[in-house]
Amino acid sequence: MATKQWETTLGERKSMYKQSENSFFKRGEKTSPISVILVTSGSRGNKLLFRYPFQRVADCTSSLTTKQRSPYALNTTGDVLEDPDGDSREQTPLTDQQLVAGFSDIILATILATKSDMCGKKFELKIDNVRFVGHPTLLQHPHTIQVSKTDPSPKREMPTMILFSVVFALRANADPSVISCMHNLSRRIAIALQHEERRCQYLTREAKLMLAVQDEVTNMTETDGSPQSPFRQILPKCKLARDLKEAYDSLCTTGVVRLHINNWLEVSFCLPHKIHRVGGNHVPPEALERSLKAIRPYHALLLLDSEKALLAQLPLDCSPALVRLIKTCSAVKNLQQLAQDADLNLLQIFQIAAHLVYWGKAIIVYPLCENNVYMLSPHANISLYSPLAEAFGQQFPGHDLPSMLAKFSLPLSLSEFRNPLDASVQEAQLIQMVVWMLQRRLLIQLHTYVCLLVPPSEEEPGLLRDEELPLVARVGGRSLSTPSALSFGSPTSSDDMTLTSPSMDNSSAELLPGGDSPLNRRMTETLLASLTEHERQVILNIPAAQSPEDLRMFARLLHYFRGHHHLEEIMYNENMRRSQLKTLFDKFRSVLVVTNHEDPVISLFQSPLE
Amino acid sequence: MKKVPEEYISRELFDTVQVYIITKPELQNKLITVTAMGKKLIGCPVCIEHKKYSRNALLFNLGLVCDARTKTCALEPIVKKLSGYLTTLELESGFISNEESKQKLLPIMSTLLEELNATGACTLPIDESNTINLKLIEQRRDPLIVQEYDVPVFTQCKDHFIKSQWDLTTQQILAYIDGFRHIQKISAEADVELNLVRIAVQNLLYYGVVTLVSIFQYSNVYCTTPTVQSLIDDRSIQEECLNYVTKKGQKRACLRDVFQLYCGLTPGTTVRDLCSRYSQQLQRVDERRLIQYGLMKALIRRLQKYPVKVTRDERSRPPRLYTGCHSYDEICCKTGMSYKELDERLENDPNIIVCWK
Repeated sequence: MATKQWETTLGERKSMYKQSENSFFKRGEKTSPISVILVTSGSRGNKLLFRYPFQRVADCTSSLTTKQRSPYALNTTGDVLEDPDGDSREQTPLTDQQLVAGFSDIILATILATKSDMCGKKFELKIDNVRFVGHPTLLQHPHTIQVSKTDPSPKREMPTMILFSVVFALRANADPSVISCMHNLSRRIAIALQHEERRCQYLTREAKLMLAVQDEVTNMTETDGSPQSPFRQILPKCKLARDLKEAYDSLCTTGVVRLHINNWLEVSFCLPHKIHRVGGNHVPPEALERSLKAIRPYHALLLLDSEKALLAQLPLDCSPALVRLIKTCSAVKNLQQLAQDADLNLLQIFQIAAHLVYWGKAIIVYPLCENNVYMLSPHANISLYSPLAEAFGQQFPGHDLPSMLAKFSLPLSLSEFRNPLDASVQEAQLIQMVVWMLQRRLLIQLHTYVCLLVPPSEEEPGLLRDEELPLVARVGGRSLSTPSALSFGSPTSSDDMTLTSPSMDNSSAELLPGGDSPLNRRMTETLLASLTEHERQVILNIPAAQSPEDLRMFARLLHYFRGHHHLEEIMYNENMRRSQLKTLFDKFRSVLVVTNHEDPVISLFQSPLE
Repeated sequence: MKKVPEEYISRELFDTVQVYIITKPELQNKLITVTAMGKKLIGCPVCIEHKKYSRNALLFNLGLVCDARTKTCALEPIVKKLSGYLTTLELESGFISNEESKQKLLPIMSTLLEELNATGACTLPIDESNTINLKLIEQRRDPLIVQEYDVPVFTQCKDHFIKSQWDLTTQQILAYIDGFRHIQKISAEADVELNLVRIAVQNLLYYGVVTLVSIFQYSNVYCTTPTVQSLIDDRSIQEECLNYVTKKGQKRACLRDVFQLYCGLTPGTTVRDLCSRYSQQLQRVDERRLIQYGLMKALIRRLQKYPVKVTRDERSRPPRLYTGCHSYDEICCKTGMSYKELDERLENDPNIIVCWK
């Protein structure tokens, strides 16, 4: 077995370049575990019951026969002289298998089966480039064991298990949120196993089986010398071993784990890092949560699977509200309408929607309508040979994905897209294509944002004076949080906004219908008071400002002109038509700057899957 | 066992983690970090075998203890280094096993603790001829791969850096990093091999000295990102931006003009178009620096062209570059064609469509 040559990083920039090239391809594996290990501690001492993936057979035997340390351990004398800096970072990247294979079963049992006072808490141990995380769980009170030890009676008790731990081995540089998630899964499995142990000694039985196979294989190796991995033999005999293997395999691939411990208790778990990715990097769960909290009632839920497929995945005892929601939801319906149609309150809808998004079963979009403008996502895979291209060709025969995507190179509204230049394609199919592309995060939607910026005055031009401070610094931001926004009129997903009569209009403090009444003038003045003198002058000098109606509308909407609220949001909150707003923007264009870009709140959900 | 400060580790904690401190042979010389009872212990157990020791071996471990929530990656090289030094000292002069010199360990540990916590660096005099120097080094993320069509641009004023501290390759290419030359061009003009330039720039990228933008051309197309609003919200970005983009020798440009210019960048609009439409706003603004700043701060992003050959004869070869994976920038760099040449070639080919993203 060759010993590794350690290269120093000083001056060896080429290896650093190679390293980052390797790590580019290995980035996905930072979120996968390297190994899953089951250890116990009991009256028979510490035991490693099962580990997966299996060690290579050669490593197995060598640790028994010679007094050999792991080939990847540092040599005491050799390396201290060569590498005085003692930099522990890996120079030559080891494969995942090699990282954990170097640890023998016995040493793992020693270090992973902790003392009982570490039970019930997160266990984290890092050794060089491997990080172990688990949740050691106590099965019996240690005192019961002590009693049987001091009891001199010849009647021997059955060997009892005191504690156990399901441990995941990860690369040491795994993201803290990944480590946290793995710990969570370990804890969930532990809870299930603890329950089943108390109910019917499930764990003790499985442990007995595993140890028996291990003993058998050791005996066989000693007699006829042919090395075998005991864990391979354990798999067909122990359901628990198969469950652990399945958990490992799922974590490495889809990130969705569903186990049935003892064919009875369900343990389900998902690793958001595998499900939500942006251009090769995972989305941190905190960012995901922030986005989920910012969903508004005018957003819509787009399912990523067909209704049938999704319903088939649900457990038998799932909530009926979830089923109702899945059956009623649609890409053209916003969440508020969904609440009405599914007969649930909005808070429930939000919670279920967040749940579906977290599990990667749905994404948040703006409801589909004529005026939606879409553009190709910067993360979209437009390769001719991508699996997406193939799937598209199968779903929509006669059409190819790159040609469709090319149409969205320039922002295109849905109505423009539906205008069939190619009469052979049916309109309905075009909409299906857009939905298909949205589901695969190939398109982003652009919204219009408006910002108030008044031309600077003549004196001292070019210097940044207080007037040019952003509005937000002077005016306290008026945040429109989700459920309370419900009272603001009733939105529709299409552009067909019906104006409520002014007496029902409760979006801002407008009390009287139109006209140049003193009260209205006062209202306008108050709203404009937050501006500086210079700004007010400039605005009042605009020809459109001579119309009290227009000025009042402008003043009322002033707080939206900070570039954080898009057109559709203003329409929803203020119960206004798109055409009204656009006209207003045009009239006051000398003090407004307009731009189009994606909505940062939901752009997180427009990230592609790997 | 010696502890500094005495009371920080309880008896119970030590009992619990003992197995990770003085370890079995298989774990020796490995950096071990264990978290228990609200504390994190980082150590590196060492074993020196020799007949002179009772039990024929000396086992020791100098570790650091922190709060469980601390990020300890930066401390690991220090622990490893210390274990190496102590091993050498022991082998050379029996530093740890000798009763007399053993006493020096406590004050050394105190100094270590104090100075590391205070300044992040420490100097430990061991005896007349030996001193250990230690420093906490910030851990940084792996840098991206640098492509030949990427353009490095300094994030701070170039003159802030003492050139002699950099390696020879970097010194040679420094003059050519102007935020407009791409890697291939730098390699050609500085007469340095392409891969060396890539590595040197990647090194600069790692330390945050440069960032990467794309090649500038008047035919380029850009569009705004949601981050463009930070120009309005963040006073410091405003100041920095206006200072950066104002033409040399002119009065500082005003925010409204600059913001209008950025918002004037839309899909389908080239920089040339922008210049003709917003000539008034550009009186005091350098459009190249405007684009450069916008890209550096992610206020705007570049829309690249990707050709895709969607139909082809059965007999012709499958497309190598026109697959949707390679941008115009990349193709021009690799083949030596200019944009115009590539455009002309592709426009006449009915089998090729172009996607912008």
